[in-house]
Amino acid sequence: MALPTALKTGRQKRRMTLRQKEALYGRLFILPWLIGLVYFFIIPFITALYYTLTKIKLGDNGLEFTFVGFENYLYAFTKDPNYIRTLTSSIVDMLYQVPIVVFFSMFVAYVLRDEFRGRTFARAVFFFPVIIASGVVITILKENIMGDVNSAASGSTTLFKVENLRMILVNSGVSAWLVNLFTTTISHIFDLTWRSGVQILLLMAALHNIPKSFYEAAIIEGATEWEKFWKITFPMISPTLLVAVIYSIIDYFTDYGNYVMRMVVTQLNNGRFEYSTTIAIVYFAIILVIVLIVNRIIGRRVVYLS
Amino acid sequence: MKALKGESISKRQISGFDKAIWRKRFFNFLKNLFRYLFIIGMSYVLLYPILFLISNAFRDKVDLLDPSVVWIPKHFSVESFKLANQILGYAESVKNTLVILIPSVIIQTFVCMMVGYGFARFRFKEREILFGILIFTIIVPMQTIIVPLYVKFRHFDFFYIGKLMGVFTGKLLSINLLDTPWTFYLLSAFGMGIRSSLYIFIFRQFFRNMPTELEEAAKIDGCGPFSTFIRVMVPNATGAIITVLLFTIVWHWNDYYLSAMFFTDKLPLSVMLTILNERIDILSNNNPASANDIYLLRSSTLEAGCLMVIIPLIVIYIIGQRYFTESIERTGIVG
Repeated sequence: MALPTALKTGRQKRRMTLRQKEALYGRLFILPWLIGLVYFFIIPFITALYYTLTKIKLGDNGLEFTFVGFENYLYAFTKDPNYIRTLTSSIVDMLYQVPIVVFFSMFVAYVLRDEFRGRTFARAVFFFPVIIASGVVITILKENIMGDVNSAASGSTTLFKVENLRMILVNSGVSAWLVNLFTTTISHIFDLTWRSGVQILLLMAALHNIPKSFYEAAIIEGATEWEKFWKITFPMISPTLLVAVIYSIIDYFTDYGNYVMRMVVTQLNNGRFEYSTTIAIVYFAIILVIVLIVNRIIGRRVVYLS
Repeated sequence: MKALKGESISKRQISGFDKAIWRKRFFNFLKNLFRYLFIIGMSYVLLYPILFLISNAFRDKVDLLDPSVVWIPKHFSVESFKLANQILGYAESVKNTLVILIPSVIIQTFVCMMVGYGFARFRFKEREILFGILIFTIIVPMQTIIVPLYVKFRHFDFFYIGKLMGVFTGKLLSINLLDTPWTFYLLSAFGMGIRSSLYIFIFRQFFRNMPTELEEAAKIDGCGPFSTFIRVMVPNATGAIITVLLFTIVWHWNDYYLSAMFFTDKLPLSVMLTILNERIDILSNNNPASANDIYLLRSSTLEAGCLMVIIPLIVIYIIGQRYFTESIERTGIVG
């Protein structure tokens, strides 16, 4: 181990500079994660990467791996009829879905922040999606109930009569493009609320962490609600907002309803572990690039108190 | 409102003050009206599935076939709950879940907090690239690495120490950790548990936004980095800790992919729920006499099972969220 020896020599021969000390302690703090990362993530991940370069067959004595080079990757990009198409459409959908989810959750968090009658109830209600959507319950719900809701979105049952709304709008002379945009957003509202539970909770915690004295000072200075929001609330929650944006992006991409993820799972169920991993790895590399770009762009504008 | 009235009397000479109060009241009224409308509307959307579950789970066999029953069953019965309880082995499964959940949740929250603090407050060369890797680990779901990970736990060699000893003694030291909760404890302890990377990210953002004065004061009083962390940062991070605790509890409770992989007996509740359907079939095959009844109750039993899985979490949230707001208001120093 390099760290303890560094500590020793640092103490005996020359004292470490403050910066070196800081770096050492930082590394010590993240050490458990680093060990776990290498042992439980990177090594299994490299093993999985190796699988993508092979063809796996169930032979007489267990699994047999034949090395085939980049054949799986070539197949994904040049021969698979669906991969590129689903990949691009899922990226394009993300571009408008994520902002909607983030704005929605910020709005809800802001509404649920202040004390009002029934706040505990309202908060519990908005937490339901987190409880349900992460477990096996959602799959059962999807089979039994969401089926109803989804067909409701197209107007056949009573929950959302989007078709009626569409007719009203069309008859009142709104342009068809606008009507379409409006009705698709409304029919997605169910999806939207179910995707934003985690973000709402995160933002709510962030809103509660803003010191009350900031607002008191602002009121004395005569700030309006609008100014209070943009000059205090928004900058103060911006670090959490960054988490919420990145979480929303990742959640959108790795959701089991996502078409690429569905492809990954179907290929896995068809017994093509190596091809499933191949498309998954290409997919995650692309997501990582997107997330890092977003992190760069938003990260620069984030305000940290210290 | 009373205070405002008193104020308005004492400052009546200021012209337009009353008007301002009325405007404010009107604005508040609109705000409240809008808020309640919004919450009622959203509650309908969000509660719809739960209400559906409750309505169906309590129905008697007669009501299940009666089209005139829409929401409120005419004959209440807890038969589906009894059947679900019997098939799930509820008490036993809950115990199995808790054996995994409680230590994992505590270890995971603490480790993630520590790592998040390390990322937030210390500068070192490779920090940015490690942080990039951290984000990558949020993205990659367990499914990609599950097969190699399974093999790792099947022949667990204590971080290659077992293998190293094998070189000297000629005998590989490895134990089988599958079917023990150690799989989860180890993953949690080394920051690789269920969504650990996300929690590290949350804590990192939280600690970065804390004022540095606290740590400086602790440093002047002679605290080293670790005692600063334990004595100053942890007590002030209650809000973030409770948020993360809620998430860890929910995600551990709901996890069925990893549990189904690592466990073959002593199944936790979520895994039991996934096989509930098959168990019902087996039960009805074994009891031909009541097979018809069981078949009728099939979907309502499934719904009762869902409710039995969800309800503990809702209770935890309602208790937790009260503490969640109070604690933040109490600690004060962070805000």
